[in-house]
Amino acid sequence: MVPEISSLVRRCTFALIALGSVGVDVAATDGRAVGQSICFAAIWIGVAAVVAQFVPIPTDPRSKPPLWLFLLLIGLASAPFGLEPLRRNWTGDGYPLEIQMVCSLRNVGLGLSVCAGWLLCLRLACVTSLFLILFSASMTNHPVVIVVLGLYTATGSIWLMISYWSGLRSVFVAPEKAVTVELDDTGERASWLGLSFLVFFLGLALALVLVGPRRASYALGEWMPTSGGTGATDMFARYGVGDGPEETAGDNAKAAGMVETDKMIEDNKNSLIDAVNDLYGPPHKPNKDLERMVAAGKVDVIQFHGKLPDNKRPSRDFDTGRKGPKGNPKPKSQGARGVFEVQGRTPLHIRLVAYDIYEPVEKRWLEARKPTSKLIEAQGGDWMKLGFLKPNDWYLADERHRLKVAELKSNLVPTPSLLTQFRINKVDKSDYYEWDYEGVLVLAGRKSTPPGVIVTTDCRTVDPMRLPKSAFGTVGGTNGSFPNLGDVPSIIRPEILKLAREWAGDHPRGWLQIDAIQRKLLNEYTLDLNATAPPENPAPVLWFLNESRRGPDYLFASAFALMLRALDYPTRICMGYYASPDAYDPETAHTPVKVTDLHFWPEVLLLDGHWMVLEPTPSYSALGPTLPLFERILHAFVFLIAWLYSHVIKVTLLSCILFAGWIKRRDLFDLLAFLIWTWFPGKTWREQVRGAMAVLERRGRLSGKARKCRQTMFSWLRESLLKSSGPDADIHQIILMAQWAAYAQEAPPPWSQSEVLNVCHRVLGSWTLKRWREAPPDFLLGDKS
Amino acid sequence: MSILTDDAQTNLALKGTLLEGIRSALNRALRGKADVVEKVIACLLARGHLLLEDLPGLGKTTLAKAIAFAVGGNFSRVQCTPDLLPGDITGFSVFNQKTREFEFQSGPVFSDVLLADEINRTTPRTQSALLEAMAERQVTVDNIRHILTPMFFVIATQNPVEHHGTYPLPEAQLDRFAMKLAVGYPEKSDELGLLAAAIGYVDDPFIQKSVLLKGQLAGLQEQVSKVLVQPNVQEYLVDLGRATRVHPKVTLGLSPRGLLIWQRVAQAWAFLKDRPFVTPDDIQDIAIPVLSVRLGLAPDEASNIINQLLETVPVPV
Repeated sequence: MVPEISSLVRRCTFALIALGSVGVDVAATDGRAVGQSICFAAIWIGVAAVVAQFVPIPTDPRSKPPLWLFLLLIGLASAPFGLEPLRRNWTGDGYPLEIQMVCSLRNVGLGLSVCAGWLLCLRLACVTSLFLILFSASMTNHPVVIVVLGLYTATGSIWLMISYWSGLRSVFVAPEKAVTVELDDTGERASWLGLSFLVFFLGLALALVLVGPRRASYALGEWMPTSGGTGATDMFARYGVGDGPEETAGDNAKAAGMVETDKMIEDNKNSLIDAVNDLYGPPHKPNKDLERMVAAGKVDVIQFHGKLPDNKRPSRDFDTGRKGPKGNPKPKSQGARGVFEVQGRTPLHIRLVAYDIYEPVEKRWLEARKPTSKLIEAQGGDWMKLGFLKPNDWYLADERHRLKVAELKSNLVPTPSLLTQFRINKVDKSDYYEWDYEGVLVLAGRKSTPPGVIVTTDCRTVDPMRLPKSAFGTVGGTNGSFPNLGDVPSIIRPEILKLAREWAGDHPRGWLQIDAIQRKLLNEYTLDLNATAPPENPAPVLWFLNESRRGPDYLFASAFALMLRALDYPTRICMGYYASPDAYDPETAHTPVKVTDLHFWPEVLLLDGHWMVLEPTPSYSALGPTLPLFERILHAFVFLIAWLYSHVIKVTLLSCILFAGWIKRRDLFDLLAFLIWTWFPGKTWREQVRGAMAVLERRGRLSGKARKCRQTMFSWLRESLLKSSGPDADIHQIILMAQWAAYAQEAPPPWSQSEVLNVCHRVLGSWTLKRWREAPPDFLLGDKS
Repeated sequence: MSILTDDAQTNLALKGTLLEGIRSALNRALRGKADVVEKVIACLLARGHLLLEDLPGLGKTTLAKAIAFAVGGNFSRVQCTPDLLPGDITGFSVFNQKTREFEFQSGPVFSDVLLADEINRTTPRTQSALLEAMAERQVTVDNIRHILTPMFFVIATQNPVEHHGTYPLPEAQLDRFAMKLAVGYPEKSDELGLLAAAIGYVDDPFIQKSVLLKGQLAGLQEQVSKVLVQPNVQEYLVDLGRATRVHPKVTLGLSPRGLLIWQRVAQAWAFLKDRPFVTPDDIQDIAIPVLSVRLGLAPDEASNIINQLLETVPVPV
């Protein structure tokens, strides 16, 4: 008896591959949200599970897998490499070669698990799943991957157990049923194995010819999963396991990632710690006379009075006459790619300058007044806790960001709005900082912030929908510190007020009113950096609002701020850096902020004295609160419902088509097979007959009347169709043809090709799937026993 | 459209006539057992030897005699008893007083059709006298080899082994038979016909009528040997054979000689169905008579186990 592969083993194998796929998707793209990665993996697994329903299970698991399976696997394996150029071209983003290779392996693994009825595929699928899970475990220690690894271990144990018991089943089976077959130790070499080697070597030869041996060998290394590549050939290479070029060691502080080391905040001046922390005293200058002792270790020298062991002795022999190293011995550093980098959730508005007075004659915003007291009122420790942000219902939990300065020309300490605390390494002196403007933090007494400084910040987010009417102050009600926050030049005030009231509509004072105006700007106005007002125009804001309806971000900010002022909201506008989510770099998990990311935005003063960022400029947005999971699901659900409602006709039509397709999937499958046979019946009469017989056999299988293991095609047909239909010349003829096609290949063809085609067409036309189904269930009496 | 040439059609017509004549003769001798007769003819055409096992009085000897007469050859019969000696089958040398030399007196084995009746009632020593004759169509007596006729065909009958006074045939002997058939009791209508036909006749003259002329059987056998067996069918045959060797309830698996015989009988079976090639169905159709004679099986489980093997080895399609 041919050993049977238990369906449990097949399912278990599929589970192993599924876990491997989840692990790979989570580990391979560390920049993507985990939920998104799991969703992607679930999609692939779901597709594989559906396809598995249509893949036949061979009667003999040890039989050679069919050629179409090989072609399918080739297609699956090459799909990531084929799609990657398109992805890079369209999105500008890309996967490194090693990730493409892993995705390719994942596809192959899923394909193999789908065809696990063949023993060879089952075994290869297991090996592939093991490789995938090892890859994910070595790439990341993300908690999801740890969980997946645990599940994989458990499933693997079950797999081993089931396989073991399946193997023993033939031993413990009832003697009268026990039939075994002698295993063929020689094995049958798959004919496509040679084809695989041929494809591999052809590809290798092609690569050598096209790109040369050097680049081909580099690329070969980059294809190796977990290698990270060298970056010599692929711009998306990751330079190692889980890190990128920003983590590469080097002298240039601008090049490093978020590494809080003293070295990284060194520049040609004294380091921050040396400058401000008197616990450490003056900057350390090593005494050359003490080098030996320091190298040996202070404790060793004190405690060990005799001769130090070799591994502790600093004075090993050293050839001073040797030649120096060739080339630059220092690791290469990369220049900074922005003024600073942000680690954390974006978008983020980093204030640089605040403006509060609009000068109508000069048509310009004037710098806001400096705060009366520039001192930071910190609460001790290296964390500068500001403490003045009182908790309210509309403020949500702290969000942490890390901002690493790279090439700031000013002494700005980049911080987001609604700041609650911050720190720079171990700096614990609050007088090291000062407020430049309200909410704009700078280093006191320094001209510029040194490269490599990492600012860790905690800031609140605000949920505008929770803001009550009383949260917004009025210009008149604001304390006297900022008397100009409600100023609108009298020349433009009537027009601005009219527009503001018109846009605000019936909305009551508060966030809904502000939001109505903001939406108007967002939806009906266009961001255009080149659409500046004519120089002779006396009121660029009115020109923007009434005429051009397009303009740069400062016009959006100005218009919005002035309109809010007209409605008695104290506002200002700020210039600063905008950390865009679009600039997020998944390789380093940072968002670089460049000089070109300068941006203007308005802010409204809340009654508790804090400035709330508004964003009326299209394609920009303000940092919103992190919603709880339930609310996110709810929002997604609401969005889905809204989307479905807006596409109700298409969705209904598509659903009906899919439902009908699912109900009639067997008929469609049969129709497809029939059409394929009709279009490509084969070159010889034997191929035509075999194709027709395959269609007939598939119909029998789809209608639940499959051929038995011991039945030949024609005995099956003879004892089924003829028994059901009575004498039928065409059936007799096709049975005879099938016999000749299968077992008399060396004999001369006894029929003309047209005659064969006619008979096959007639049989396939008369014995439709519907007729197979209507045949009595016991009409297949192929049992000769 | 005809699939054969004119010559082939002529040969086919002649073949059909001859085979129909043999069928008719045998069916007249053994009423209501067309399937048994068909297999007997297949065995004959495959140049195999036949073992008929059944209860006394079911027509085994009648069938054997009918075959002998139908194929038109010499017929000999040996009634096997416990005191039968090998020389009684093969022949022996006697001293001629006149010529003062030993002369070989040939035994019944020197015939075209040899009926060894109740073969399992004689001793294994005597049974073994047939080994060389059945396998190589020759006998060696006093170191002198004597060639038998090319169409030498042994039909042995035996009573079920459970009966008293029987000696089970050795495996080597069994392996030389192409198939083992059980005749079985006829249907009621056939028995009525048998009784009706017996009234007024002492013997049926048609049974002793020859159907084939000299050499025609050899011609048919040669045609059978040319029936095509594709590699995929041969592989199926080998798979089945190997499956018999590892079955826990089969004490003796199929030998390579058994495989050869199985293929020959399958060729004959396809020939009888007017087909120039063998299909897996042919192999399955004659599996039980071919395998039951040579596999080490408990008699009452033979059919079940052979069917199990056929159910589990996939056919080539």
